[in-house]
Amino acid sequence: MAETRVSCARLAQAARRLRDEGPCRLATVVATDDRSAEAAFVVRYVFACPGRFETISAAVPIPGACCPSLAQLFPVAALFERELREFFGVRFEGHPDPRRLLLHELWPEGAFPLRKDFKPEAAAALPAAPPYAFVPVEGEGVFEIPVGPVHAGIIEPGHFRFSVAGEPIIRLEARLGYVHRGIEKLAEGARAPQGLRLAERVSGDNAFAHSLAYCQAWERLAGVEVPRRAAVLRVVGSELERMHCHLADIAGIATDVGFPFGAMQALRLRELVLRRAAAWCGDRFLKGINAPGGVRCDLDAVRARELASFVKESARGFAELKRLLGETDSLMDRVEGTGELPRRVAEDLGGVGPAARASGVDLDLRRDLPYAAYADIPIPVAVRPEGDVGARMAVKFEEFERSADAVVRALGALSEGPCGGPIPEGAPGAEGMGWAESPRGEVLYWLRMGPEGTIARLKIKDPSFVNWPLLPWAVRGDIVPDFPLVNKSFNLSYAGNDR
Amino acid sequence: MTRAGAAAFGQSLALIALAPLLAGLIKRLKATLQNRRGPDLIQPYRDLWKAMRKETVVSETASWVTLAVPYVVFGGTAAAAFLVPAALADTPLGPAGDAIALVYLLAVPRFFLALGGLDAGSAFGGMGSSREMMISSSAEPALMLALFAAALEAGTTNLGAMARRMAELGWAGFNPGLALAAAALFLVALAECGRLPVDNPATHLELTMVHEAMILEQSGRGLGLIEWAGMLKLAIFLTLLADLFLPWGAALGADWTQLGLGAALCVLKLCALAVAVALVETATAKLRLFRVPDFLGTAFVLALLALLSQGVVRIGL
Repeated sequence: MAETRVSCARLAQAARRLRDEGPCRLATVVATDDRSAEAAFVVRYVFACPGRFETISAAVPIPGACCPSLAQLFPVAALFERELREFFGVRFEGHPDPRRLLLHELWPEGAFPLRKDFKPEAAAALPAAPPYAFVPVEGEGVFEIPVGPVHAGIIEPGHFRFSVAGEPIIRLEARLGYVHRGIEKLAEGARAPQGLRLAERVSGDNAFAHSLAYCQAWERLAGVEVPRRAAVLRVVGSELERMHCHLADIAGIATDVGFPFGAMQALRLRELVLRRAAAWCGDRFLKGINAPGGVRCDLDAVRARELASFVKESARGFAELKRLLGETDSLMDRVEGTGELPRRVAEDLGGVGPAARASGVDLDLRRDLPYAAYADIPIPVAVRPEGDVGARMAVKFEEFERSADAVVRALGALSEGPCGGPIPEGAPGAEGMGWAESPRGEVLYWLRMGPEGTIARLKIKDPSFVNWPLLPWAVRGDIVPDFPLVNKSFNLSYAGNDR
Repeated sequence: MTRAGAAAFGQSLALIALAPLLAGLIKRLKATLQNRRGPDLIQPYRDLWKAMRKETVVSETASWVTLAVPYVVFGGTAAAAFLVPAALADTPLGPAGDAIALVYLLAVPRFFLALGGLDAGSAFGGMGSSREMMISSSAEPALMLALFAAALEAGTTNLGAMARRMAELGWAGFNPGLALAAAALFLVALAECGRLPVDNPATHLELTMVHEAMILEQSGRGLGLIEWAGMLKLAIFLTLLADLFLPWGAALGADWTQLGLGAALCVLKLCALAVAVALVETATAKLRLFRVPDFLGTAFVLALLALLSQGVVRIGL
């Protein structure tokens, strides 16, 4: 991974060149507290370019700790910079929205948790932050509807502020951060196995993709290639995860339009996938399989054969489900034209995963920057141009079918051999990045080693972090009772966003 | 009190007491249709019992309206139950009120439910009330016309006499006018009782609710009464369908044989209607909110055609 160090002043110029020449998109922004080594915070803008990742970094000197914002060039940068501002105290000149993002008012002003010298006891003595200001919408007949963070159903917490005129939504502002656990801070000083446990818990139903990206960051940093068998098994796990996640999403859409019959059928199929997943390594959500260096749980020949025939059977059940939902006119009427997300918005805000692909953004790490054994097990990318709930559902339908097919192909390509073992510890200061296409989109793990095999800094990019800002755009002009459906069609992770 | 009077009174009490059983039956049927096991038939009674025993928590911003709503709603709906013939083609309040009185007795609870939704000042309650009013403003005319189509058949708007006429008709009760009116009344019943495809009684999504949004602030005994009233309302609508539009059934006299037969037929027809509701709720998704007026417009047109068809048959228009 190429890293170019520039000065703060030349940052924008270098970024513009990458954007225009690559063409590259901004994938994540990683900051480190390097005040002990070079008396500065280092901010790294990680770009995904055709066939490679490119990094531009800049040292932000301590007095003032300020750098120009890249939000003008890459609107998505505003989001990452907003996060760095509250976690590192790095300010960005010309930033469009300097409000807090994940930390709430109870978190004191001036306490920056990801700085190396952060002390919880000292932070407790600092004054509380001023109240968060929602953007006001005014006008005759405009009302605000506050929803959450506690909802009527058992779902994750998040606050939504609607400004409506009658039923149509004028503006939606989401405020998240209620399940912020400080995972990146917890990882500092942890060794590989503890870090793995954290990674598997960032976003529960995407545990495999997260642990995979984490393990790949370790392997890249140590310069280790995993054995072929492990790489293929990782494809199997990733695609199984996509299958159960997409089934849950489809069930959610059917539930939200009031079609429980379809939802029950999808949930039944999902339960079977989860049980089959549990038969692999004892965990329904595929935890405990990945480990730096390979996979811990091998699939013996009998179980591999059973899994392949199960997936074929499951694909047949899925075809039936797809037909059922497609033939239910009342359901299709609800999903078509609802929650349209324009392609331009999805691109500018850095949207990833099925949500972006359903708006015509052709991105998929499995094809663009293949990892594990994806180079040998290519999976066609499902893209739809419409951008509505129906398109997101259709993308998930297609991805399920292709995932099932890929699992069968991968199991067929499973060669005999080792599954991997312990890998050497990286040198202090070594850096590496791992990535995976989770069911919700791109997961990135940026890792820097500390002394004695501990983690000095772990930066996690969950796809929901960049996809949440898409939602308010998708619901504009829709009516309030359609919001839950639009929300479900994105099915973003609160925990992954909040970390 | 004569035996007929006692039987009429008893059937209304039975309707009130057994309404939760009907709701339980529909729930159970839906579960079976969706390959689920589903709760016991008597689960609604347990839910009501649970709610009744719980403490009532009232929002600080609520007025006396919130406290009064459950009693008005239950009282109004229960009074309506005394206007509905079930096993016997007679009603205890027959001399005091007819089909029009019934419609307005059902409108009173709705009005107070909507007031209760607004009372505490929460955003959800207001949304629920405004949606409920939008729905009922198009449901009520269709309901009226459907009942009038049946009233033309009997030549009176007295519900007891209408049920008697239907019971006497037998095979002749199958005529296009009445069939159209029955279809209209069925659609109205789904809308009025907050069933799919108009409202989803099982949803947990605050933003999509209609009926549930209005009662989000209710708790304890008040909630129990409102839920009971909701089940009773469904039972009333289905009983009307059974007695005014499906021929045979309601007993004409109060001797034991006729009463037993009437009760058995009534239960049988209600079960058939419960199956119909469960089938509709399983086979269709909820409509977009702004499609609901189209749905009720269909009911209105059906009811209008029913009335015209009855006019052609009766008066030879």
